[in-house]
Amino acid sequence: MVTELAAEADRRRARALIEAQGLSFEPGFDELVGVFEGGRLVGAGARQGSVLKMLAVDPAWQGGGVLGELVTGISALAFAAGHEALFVFTRPEHARSFEELNFELLASAGPAALLEYGGGLGRWLERHRALVREGDNGAAVVNCNPFTNGHRHLLEQAARRCETLYVLVVREDRSAFPFEARLRLVREGTRDLANVRVLDTGRYAISAVTFPSYFLKQGDDAAGVQMELDLELFGRRIAPFFHARRRFFGSEPLCAATRAYNQAMRRVLPRHGVEPVEIPRVEAGGGPISASRVRDALRRGDLAALEGLVPGCTLAYLLSDEGRAVRERLRESEGRHA
Amino acid sequence: MTIVRKAQAGTMQSSDLMVFLEPAPELVIEIESTVKAQFEHLIRAKIEEVLRERGVGAGRVRVTDRGALDYAIQARLETALLRAGGE
Repeated sequence: MVTELAAEADRRRARALIEAQGLSFEPGFDELVGVFEGGRLVGAGARQGSVLKMLAVDPAWQGGGVLGELVTGISALAFAAGHEALFVFTRPEHARSFEELNFELLASAGPAALLEYGGGLGRWLERHRALVREGDNGAAVVNCNPFTNGHRHLLEQAARRCETLYVLVVREDRSAFPFEARLRLVREGTRDLANVRVLDTGRYAISAVTFPSYFLKQGDDAAGVQMELDLELFGRRIAPFFHARRRFFGSEPLCAATRAYNQAMRRVLPRHGVEPVEIPRVEAGGGPISASRVRDALRRGDLAALEGLVPGCTLAYLLSDEGRAVRERLRESEGRHA
Repeated sequence: MTIVRKAQAGTMQSSDLMVFLEPAPELVIEIESTVKAQFEHLIRAKIEEVLRERGVGAGRVRVTDRGALDYAIQARLETALLRAGGE
């Protein structure tokens, strides 16, 4: 029987079990559950949204049904919470145990493997099959928070170099501009580019926000592992489906995290036959155009500074009531990526 | 009967299966199994038989199986249908 562990004493037991398996106890989950045998906690695990984490089974009970019981219990909770696909990030040596529970290995990189239950990636790819054209294609994965003249330049240059350019807009909604608005502006801002197809990444761009690090050892570079896993997934499963032989991205003069991601692209993508292509950023008003510069201007309430930074569709959005609400939220917040 | 709401039945244990149902305009059956290569056709035939007996002509049926035998497939699917159903 899987039970939710709500009492402080049970949570302490779960923590001890998780830590005894060499995992870190990472607070921040929707439910923590456990399996008891003869009054003893023999298995524990947690769910955060559609991500399973910190699954641990007492060594004396491994190889039996405890893992299946845990995952059954957690997946029932996830299903009730409205999730139909489940993800687990774990060490590659544990991938097989999850494959036996019908999880599918999506990618692995160094000390990490990502598996999915529910066949979501296959369905996501199928949904886009009508957009697939065989040919010398390319792809770009963008957040566009919001869409700027810099993005426009990148996509225009990229579109010239391929037969079909697939632009994947990161779905995850942790940005100042909501996903629906980001996607719409990319569509409007590239409408005149006949060979561009704009779609969303679904759950298949692995961001630092959802990436758990409980299974990593001290000294592992969590950010680096997360980037490699994201790029392995792109290179192994997404790029081949769209016949994308090149991935385009802008040079990054300012943000260290984005620069590290660009480095990771150069390292990982060629392994999968995808050529990384860096396009130099365009400048305006004495500096490179970036979405964070646009957000800074909005934070200051300085609409005049947007001249040359954003195209007409973004400007129109910013002046709309919907855009005004985002501007007001921005003025109350801080930080580069917010 | 008709699938009018999402429902689930079963477990991830060996020799069992999980069944997920949800309303859909057409009948779609998706099967994932650790013995898919050998037995997918038999699993599908059993599911179709139960759906036919219950008069279910539409809905999305997702199954993840770990080598369940026929009677387990039937029991899990019928339970899920009762949870999902209206007459």
